[in-house]
Amino acid sequence: MVRVMACWGALMVLFMGELAIATTGFGPGICAVAVLMGLVIVFGFMRITLAPPLAAIFALGSLFWLAILLSLGSLDSFTRTNFSVGDTLSSRTQNAVTARDRAP
Amino acid sequence: MPDDLAPYDTPQHRDETAVAGMWLFLASEVLLFGGLFLVVLVYSHTRRAGWIMGVRHTNLIIGSINTLLLLTSSAMYTLAVVAARAGRARRIIAPALGAAGLGVAFLGLKSWEWHLEFSEHLFPGAGFSISGPDAGGAQLFYSFYFLSTALHGLHMLVGIGLILWVCYRMARRRGQPVPVIPVEVVGLYWSFVDLVWILLFPVLYLVGRV
Amino acid sequence: MSMAPMADSANGYLWQDGTLRSWLLTTDHKRIALLYMASITAFFILGGVGAALIRLQLLVPAGAILSDETYSRMFTLHGVVMVWLFLVPSIPVTLGNFLVPLMLGARDLAFPRLNLLSWYLFVMAGMLVVYGLFRGGLETGWTFYTPLSTDYTQGHVLPVVAGVFLSGFSSIATGVNFIISIHQLRAPGMTWYRLPLMLWALYATSVIFVLATPVLSITLVLLAFEHFFHVGVFDPALGGDPLLFQHLFWFYSHPAVYIMILPGMGVISEVVSTFCHKPVFGYRFVAWSSISIASIGFLVWGHHMFVAGTSLYAAVVFSMLSFLVSVPSAIKVFNWLGTMHGGAIRLDAPMLYAMGFIGLFTVGGLTGLFLASLASDVHLTQTYFVVAHFHYIMVGGMVSAYFAGLHYWWPKITGRMYPEMWGRTAAGLLFFGFNLTFFPQFLLGYEGMPRRYATYPAQFQVLNVLSSAGASILALAYILPLVYFAWSLLRGARASDNPWQATGLEWRTSSPPPTENFAHVPVVNHDAYDYAALDQANRAASQEPPHA
Repeated sequence: MVRVMACWGALMVLFMGELAIATTGFGPGICAVAVLMGLVIVFGFMRITLAPPLAAIFALGSLFWLAILLSLGSLDSFTRTNFSVGDTLSSRTQNAVTARDRAP
Repeated sequence: MPDDLAPYDTPQHRDETAVAGMWLFLASEVLLFGGLFLVVLVYSHTRRAGWIMGVRHTNLIIGSINTLLLLTSSAMYTLAVVAARAGRARRIIAPALGAAGLGVAFLGLKSWEWHLEFSEHLFPGAGFSISGPDAGGAQLFYSFYFLSTALHGLHMLVGIGLILWVCYRMARRRGQPVPVIPVEVVGLYWSFVDLVWILLFPVLYLVGRV
Repeated sequence: MSMAPMADSANGYLWQDGTLRSWLLTTDHKRIALLYMASITAFFILGGVGAALIRLQLLVPAGAILSDETYSRMFTLHGVVMVWLFLVPSIPVTLGNFLVPLMLGARDLAFPRLNLLSWYLFVMAGMLVVYGLFRGGLETGWTFYTPLSTDYTQGHVLPVVAGVFLSGFSSIATGVNFIISIHQLRAPGMTWYRLPLMLWALYATSVIFVLATPVLSITLVLLAFEHFFHVGVFDPALGGDPLLFQHLFWFYSHPAVYIMILPGMGVISEVVSTFCHKPVFGYRFVAWSSISIASIGFLVWGHHMFVAGTSLYAAVVFSMLSFLVSVPSAIKVFNWLGTMHGGAIRLDAPMLYAMGFIGLFTVGGLTGLFLASLASDVHLTQTYFVVAHFHYIMVGGMVSAYFAGLHYWWPKITGRMYPEMWGRTAAGLLFFGFNLTFFPQFLLGYEGMPRRYATYPAQFQVLNVLSSAGASILALAYILPLVYFAWSLLRGARASDNPWQATGLEWRTSSPPPTENFAHVPVVNHDAYDYAALDQANRAASQEPPHA
């Protein structure tokens, strides 16, 4: 009972902290607080330490595969040369080429 | 091997298996929502300006109240789990119903929020109210917003149904020993739904707002 | 080891309660395996008809029977049905469902009702897909690439996507069941390193089921959301990224290729060991290679997108990681060969299929290296080279393994022997017909014939005719087992408990097994492929006076 209330209190404090950081616009800080709140839930409410050891294995496994998804999945987008719609390599290119063709 | 327990050896073995199974299912759910977060990661980077415009149009007040409701709901249901573990059947139903009630309140507020957004023409597509060069990114944000909140809401509906099922079972089995595992397994799911919201909330309402 | 027909086969799980209700509401993993077997056989036939029509069309350069549009819908039907309704579930849900508890020495899977639910989900999924296909199908190919599938399609995307989405939940349920069962329900003495390699392979498969399938689910939800509400998710007009769809799709669908081969590798390990009467060479390497194939398989999906416009950095990273996955695959092949080396090989039908598997899988695997290299992929991608490559893995590999497993465990499943001569004939036909169908496609692809076109230049006709001729032999090799398996159910010789002299726990119970699997909980006191112990037990049993 006391433990649950303490966790709830901690979550409330963290949430207020999150909103406070949000007023400064510091994105990584907001995300860090959200992760902390998640940890309070996993350890305080879901009691992963009391569950069979398999629970921790599955939880870590899912985080590992999540990391693969997010890192390799965003690798391409973060390193790609993007051309927005209507720019050089998309639709307008044809116009540009036809314009050039007409020029001489 | 007693037949009513098959395929398990002991009641404890059965309980352990059920809890492990739930955790594995939740691991699967992590990857389900993980796909959504990959969309966030990519679009909030490649379409940053439009994405932020979207974030600024969400209703922070309703979002914050909902976060408080859900955190409290998760805590209340955990009280029911604690009571079940202590074998106090009478202390299970009230907090569980409270948790479900808070969940219903969350969904009510959420639909009100959706209603407001629909009337502001924030649903992507023709007639989308945000215009300008970055409107495309804002549409992508709102596609994500509606889909992720709908998916989360669906999980909440399932969770509320499960909680009511637990309450019904407890009410019917008054006087008999408390089956801890159903209460606990539903608790894992309910807290997970809470956890998903904790991570969705900053993405939908906070990051990029200021 | 009595060969008597034994009246107690009536007590086996097959005939104990014959009502339809008892089958449809069963939680017995063995019966659910048979329900699954019936369903996926139906889908295999449907997908096979699609393949037959494709090969018929390509007999002549101008296309023999189908319009361009119908042709697109036909290869989509073939792909969707074969991948999601046959190959992904095939070995896990039939042989896996049947064998996991038996091999563990358990009474059932950890969650028997979830197991039944998974079958119902699968059937509903199949019906949705079939509904969509018979309403007219769709032209997107099995990959559902956006923006074709979302904005431009004329086909019935929603029911098909919804069906594939549902089948994903069926997969997840199966995966959860297998992983938890293997962790929790091992018989006394059954340590991890005493597990049959089939279970290691199914464990690795289940990891993919549980952790990759949800990503497919969410991808399909995003697709359906965009398609149905006409909003932008991947729409490039709004700055969305169609390649993001491909990343999400292949995050599942590349590991799904390993779903479609790992269980087959498990079967081959069992069969090769049994028919050489030798322990699998390098047991721990084979076991861990399954796990590493499943893990590395998650890191390579980008090689499907080399020419799609991904960044060069990502392409180089994915190319290098793709080469990595060939290492554990090669370990398996070498270890099977090591097992066969010096063994007293019996060439029964399962072993013939298994040897076919090893050859075809090796060809399929090695040609994969061409496609993992950036430079040669640019030339070969989107050609018949790719088609041939993945059919060598999925059909040459997985279907061979499925048939190997079916023949191998058929006596255990039904209590009847299949006719050996016909089995060998079918195995030979499969190997020959398969190579005749798909080897010409390597050449076609190398010479530049693109895939997914209803017509082709006349210079490719000879190879296409060869390929279509091979397909008809292949069809015969599929129909033949259907016939003699059905015959053996009624007329086949009664099978003994352990007809192949194999070591697994499943061979220690009767054929077919009783509903409760084992009369007593088996206790395991030796390694998985301990033929010395088996031979000793057989000698001891033959010296005892026979039972009355």
